[in-house]
Amino acid sequence: MDDVLKFSFADFFFNDSENVLNPPSDFQEWMQDPRVQYGFSFFEQQLLKAPRAKTEILSNIDGKKRSVINLTSYNYLGLSTHPEVIEAAIEGLKKYGLGASGAPLLSGTFDLSVKFAKMLADFKEKEACLLYSSGLGGNMGAIQGLLRKGDYLIMDEKCHKSLVDGGTLSGAKMQFFKHNDIEHLNQLLEKYKDKRILVAIEGVYSMDGDLAKLPEIVEVIDQYPNVAIYIDEAHSTLMFGENGRGVAEHFGLEHKMGITFGTLSKSFGGVGGFVCSNKDIIRYLQGYSSPYNFSCAPAPSIVAGLIKALEVATRDSSLRDKLWKNTEYFKKGLLDLKLDIGETESQVIPIIIGSDGNMLFEMAAELQTKGLFLQPVDFPAVPAESRRFRISVSTQLSKEDIDEALNIIEDVIAKRLKTI
Amino acid sequence: MTKDDVVAVIVENILDNLDDVEEGEIDTSKSMKDYGANSLDIIEVVSTSMRELKIKIPRTELADIDTIDSLADKFLEYVNK
Repeated sequence: MDDVLKFSFADFFFNDSENVLNPPSDFQEWMQDPRVQYGFSFFEQQLLKAPRAKTEILSNIDGKKRSVINLTSYNYLGLSTHPEVIEAAIEGLKKYGLGASGAPLLSGTFDLSVKFAKMLADFKEKEACLLYSSGLGGNMGAIQGLLRKGDYLIMDEKCHKSLVDGGTLSGAKMQFFKHNDIEHLNQLLEKYKDKRILVAIEGVYSMDGDLAKLPEIVEVIDQYPNVAIYIDEAHSTLMFGENGRGVAEHFGLEHKMGITFGTLSKSFGGVGGFVCSNKDIIRYLQGYSSPYNFSCAPAPSIVAGLIKALEVATRDSSLRDKLWKNTEYFKKGLLDLKLDIGETESQVIPIIIGSDGNMLFEMAAELQTKGLFLQPVDFPAVPAESRRFRISVSTQLSKEDIDEALNIIEDVIAKRLKTI
Repeated sequence: MTKDDVVAVIVENILDNLDDVEEGEIDTSKSMKDYGANSLDIIEVVSTSMRELKIKIPRTELADIDTIDSLADKFLEYVNK
């Protein structure tokens, strides 16, 4: 295979081997190339401690244990390691055991999950909520449960794979509008206005950290009766808005969101997903959303911790206030280094380095050996011309942690980019 | 293999993958998007066509191609390698 480094996961989706249990022959050849293996060595590195702001990893680069400042975990509010959350989860574990031991419809519904779903619905100011044991399953399952063949799912081109997979499973036609391009969205709505349409967007886009242009999107959609909005607030719930309800609250447009999704694995610090909407459609989804009714229910031990996480995050604004303080301080430091952080408006901050994949991985290795856990994001996850590092800011970072991280970023990224 | 042969493979895969498109209406100077294809449909057409033509082109080299005609040119380049 010529030019192995030009290839990516985007190129081996179709398998031409005679036996379906054999991957494509050229995929094997590609994966075995030492240069490709080096790139993959950055992924699936083992964390040896909790995903706090400072943690320890077993480096795939050299097999060594390494203490690192953690800029990669989604533990935005530090709730996965909050003492009260851990204590609540331990109590839940003691009382209910490890898992749910059943699907929700038969034996997997616990008093804790009913309580938590009600808390989430109240928090999001919707009538009802459906809990999923996986965030991806929640997004995929809600879309798959809502749409049918002949319907249209119109979504921002930067929407998460779980929404796309939900669309594929549903049999609906999918159309993607250019990222936050209101005119393009309007063209698609006009073209398919005679169909049943769901428009899917995200509150915070996960690779760029920018927000949906919600006021403009709502203004356009309001011109079309019966077009519903699905907002994925995976990276914004508990963080945006006066009460932490998300980007829709931030813009004062919660009442316009037909259905709102959140994950329980990011700011909540646990695992799972949820959707909130009117009680009739939630009741319908209970029957038709496969990752809900054909999956084991969320583990009650985790739900016990999540109830406490929601209480801690909403009893005052201290956690999100600290997150925004950290975010602003970090952003200012990166801009002072003249780094390209795109259009971020959130705690997700990209450092865009350009098209040079070799340089991306060389920098990644150096960052790690200097004590920073900051993962590279390569094509096809992001466009080939804007490969990047992606910082997840956490409440748990101290000013000293951020200063140290900025020093390392300056040494490894900023100084090298200046020489190009 | 001629360019017409390559175009025929692409057109066949467009017809297989896109609804509401008739054979005679495909203008190769246009993009598949003009026939209602989304990015997933385009990947499907490109990948199945490459498999049939027994070629492999990195996706990064296809990013700027915006018409069926220029896709056929790129494919032909690899078919004749």
